[in-house]
Amino acid sequence: MVMWPVWTLALVAVTLLLLSFRADLDKAHVILVFLLVILGASAAGGRALGVVLSLVAFVIFDLVFLPPYGTLVVRNPLDWLALVAFLVTSLVAAQLLYMARAQRAAVEREMAAREGERLKDALLAAVSHDLRTPLTSIKGLAHELSQDGDERAAIIEEEADRLNRLVTDLLDAARMSAGNFPVAPQPNALDDLLGVVVRQFAGRADRNRLEVSLDRPDELVIGMFDFVQTLRIVTNLVENALKYSPVDAHVQLSGGAEGGRMVVRISDRGPGVAEHGESRALDTAYGDTRSVSAGLGLSIARGLAAAQHGSVDYEARAGGGSVFTLFLPLAEPDAP
Amino acid sequence: MIIEDDPPIRRVLRHALESDFDRVLEAGTAAAGIDLVASEQPALVVLDLGLPDAEGVEVCRELRAWCVAPILILSARHSESEKVTLLDAGADDYITKPFSTVELQARVRALLRRASVGNAPSLRIEFGPYVMDLAGRTLRRDGEIVHLTPIEWELLRTLAVNAGRTLTHTQLFGAVWAGRRYGDAQQYLRTHIANLRRKIEDDVLDPRYVVTEPGIGYRFAGTS
Repeated sequence: MVMWPVWTLALVAVTLLLLSFRADLDKAHVILVFLLVILGASAAGGRALGVVLSLVAFVIFDLVFLPPYGTLVVRNPLDWLALVAFLVTSLVAAQLLYMARAQRAAVEREMAAREGERLKDALLAAVSHDLRTPLTSIKGLAHELSQDGDERAAIIEEEADRLNRLVTDLLDAARMSAGNFPVAPQPNALDDLLGVVVRQFAGRADRNRLEVSLDRPDELVIGMFDFVQTLRIVTNLVENALKYSPVDAHVQLSGGAEGGRMVVRISDRGPGVAEHGESRALDTAYGDTRSVSAGLGLSIARGLAAAQHGSVDYEARAGGGSVFTLFLPLAEPDAP
Repeated sequence: MIIEDDPPIRRVLRHALESDFDRVLEAGTAAAGIDLVASEQPALVVLDLGLPDAEGVEVCRELRAWCVAPILILSARHSESEKVTLLDAGADDYITKPFSTVELQARVRALLRRASVGNAPSLRIEFGPYVMDLAGRTLRRDGEIVHLTPIEWELLRTLAVNAGRTLTHTQLFGAVWAGRRYGDAQQYLRTHIANLRRKIEDDVLDPRYVVTEPGIGYRFAGTS
């Protein structure tokens, strides 16, 4: 705000200076000097100062430098032209300077944000590398041992996989809380999504407990979703369902289209979450009775669904268990 | 030929590859690895991305400039976009740490098989009950013609000729829509793949021939 008195004084000083040899001056001299002052004020003090000084200078110009002096009357009609042109030029100059400044500020903000994102990515990549390198040799060596017939080695291999999934979830959660989880929805086939889920669970001992189906096998459902992130959602939900169902119970994964949306359902025979209240269930995910990783998985699933205009709902299942439903938009039907 | 900086993982890799190769060479840095590839001309290169002395993409690009052997990338990182960059830079396939030894061996064998037939392009490709006649542009299942649209045929042909290689969305698009303007149609690639699968796969929820690499592209696994 210190700019206001400074530039007002500058305008007054310039006016007095010009006034002292008014007789020798042409109108253009006055206009150009005033414009310089207004440009300086706009640059240093912003748009509001520039506009106010433009109006003040406009009045001074008329009162002091256009005959008859001391009145707002203008004798020569052509002087109106100079007067109005001066006002418009100074207002436009103030506005342009303001816009240029705003643009620069926006660019600087964006560069700072991008730099922060790059650093976060680099950090997460380093953590990911450091955690997965030992897991890789543990898993590989356990595989060698299992070929020598040691049954315990197979357990080590599976536990290494489990730890790796936890690492993935933690990194995902870190990324999401940093607001750094870009989703890029594209037309994708439901077939493809469920097929990849099947393949991800194919290597596991409990693969036979997962039953996958399409509601209408003849119908090709194309949703509008980010494939990789949606895969994370479904994998997390299936993972939880398998983990908390009795070991002999099956988990059903099905997909279809309903009411203009793509729908993926995961049904289990787990203990359910009703005792916590249904809405809380999705936030803290099973609270104290289940493990941290389940909660992480669910909150990630929910955040990712919301980011691509979808949602994850929970219902208690008739006969015991839970049904988690993922809703996502369908693709526009103009695909060739 | 293994280029990997972590000794325990090198040991696991050597053990996994010894069944398919007479000789397995190892290097712990990019510089040493590039020298060894140049002097020994291995049949396959397994390249780790997290090397201490160079960026994985640069190593891959440099090797690809003069080395014809298939390059299999090992990556501990998360980012699909990085894998896409590597495949576009000339890598043939990638596998994520921690990998399963069985999966690694399967990928290596698929790459070797393709490298061995790569020099003599054949006019017939057989997979499962199917025979592709590349000259006649027909696909038969047990002798019966399977009707494919021109785009589906081109997709299948490109994937099958590159069996074992993971092709990125961009690479596939470039091959199938060659000459057309690059644009929004790329997103319909996935829809064409889904339609193709419905014609050739027995179970679309468990595809055997056209395998999805999430966020990256597709790989033909039919002839393995």
